[in-house]
Amino acid sequence: MICWQLQSFYYCFTKTNKPIMLLEIKHHEHYSRKELLLRSFFGWFYILIPHAFLLIFVAMAATVLQFLSFWIILFTGRYPQSWFEFQVKFQSWNLRLNASFFNIVDGYPAFGFNGSHPSIEYDVPYPDHISRVSVLLRGLFGFFYVLIPHGFILMFLGIAVQMVTFICWWIVLFTGKYPKELFDFVVGYLKWNQRVTNYMAYMTDTYPPFSMKE
Amino acid sequence: MSVDIDKNVLDDYNVPQPNEISERDREDAMGAYLMMFAAVAVSLPLPVINLVAAIIYYYVNRTKSKFIHFHCLQSLISQIPTTLSNWFLLFWALQIWVFKNWKFDNYFFIYLGFVVLVNIVYIIFSLIAAIKARKGKLYYFIIFGKVSYNAVFNRNTDLEYDR
Repeated sequence: MICWQLQSFYYCFTKTNKPIMLLEIKHHEHYSRKELLLRSFFGWFYILIPHAFLLIFVAMAATVLQFLSFWIILFTGRYPQSWFEFQVKFQSWNLRLNASFFNIVDGYPAFGFNGSHPSIEYDVPYPDHISRVSVLLRGLFGFFYVLIPHGFILMFLGIAVQMVTFICWWIVLFTGKYPKELFDFVVGYLKWNQRVTNYMAYMTDTYPPFSMKE
Repeated sequence: MSVDIDKNVLDDYNVPQPNEISERDREDAMGAYLMMFAAVAVSLPLPVINLVAAIIYYYVNRTKSKFIHFHCLQSLISQIPTTLSNWFLLFWALQIWVFKNWKFDNYFFIYLGFVVLVNIVYIIFSLIAAIKARKGKLYYFIIFGKVSYNAVFNRNTDLEYDR
């Protein structure tokens, strides 16, 4: 809970000023060119394959828990806390991997649920109560009022992020620096994406804002 | 109206009372019974998926507390006969319609009815057990309940529980 008080983190606020998600990726002054080259040419071999192999099974477990959580919330109004923490750790693992492939962090992404990255902070506060009506609406019509509008924008943003990542690849290669504005753009995309994921995973009641910022 | 019960008598029954069990433990115990829907969740109509999910859930959660251990174990072992009967139905159906080794007869229909009945009974009792677990209570299935109780509460185990 201490981390919530730190000013340096980005918050996503609800109307009641409660943070709905904490995702902060630290921008560094210098990025390793050697790691960039290694990751770009052999990353699929030493990062993607081992992580993906494990994440496939974890993702199946996460899917089972998410499906069951829908019904549990519908009957009890609560997301089982252990399952919620499992989802947060699974997402954190995914984020470490994504950040690595967007070249916004150096270092090998840690395996497992207890792994962490010194440059990445991710947490979702556990909600004591989840609206059953909202969950039912999301389960039945979420595709229309969440995934279509957000997905449409995120699709174009995703293309832009790919282009930015390509441009930054060359910038990092020649200068060893990642431009802060472009870095924030990539992180903003990840935040937006994550907020939509959390909302559709019934982990929050707050509709994700159409924003790359807080 | 209160009833005076000798504390020593209560201590002989090493069973946690509902007010001693946290909300988190109740939810974890309830989750054990819901693993029967794992195959539906991943959209793979294989009877073994539920059993695999129950086994994983059991090994992940069994050391959390005796209450959770009991419910996870009961859910797991009660799923074995259901899974086996489902598997045999699948095997039989494949032998008739895919491999053409066996003939389609009335015995198949009888067995189909039996398997449907077993699954319905299993689902009903599991849902009741899930609700009881959510309320912090122990619920004993026939045979499986006794086996689980003996394995968790009566046996000296090497397991070190978190709570």
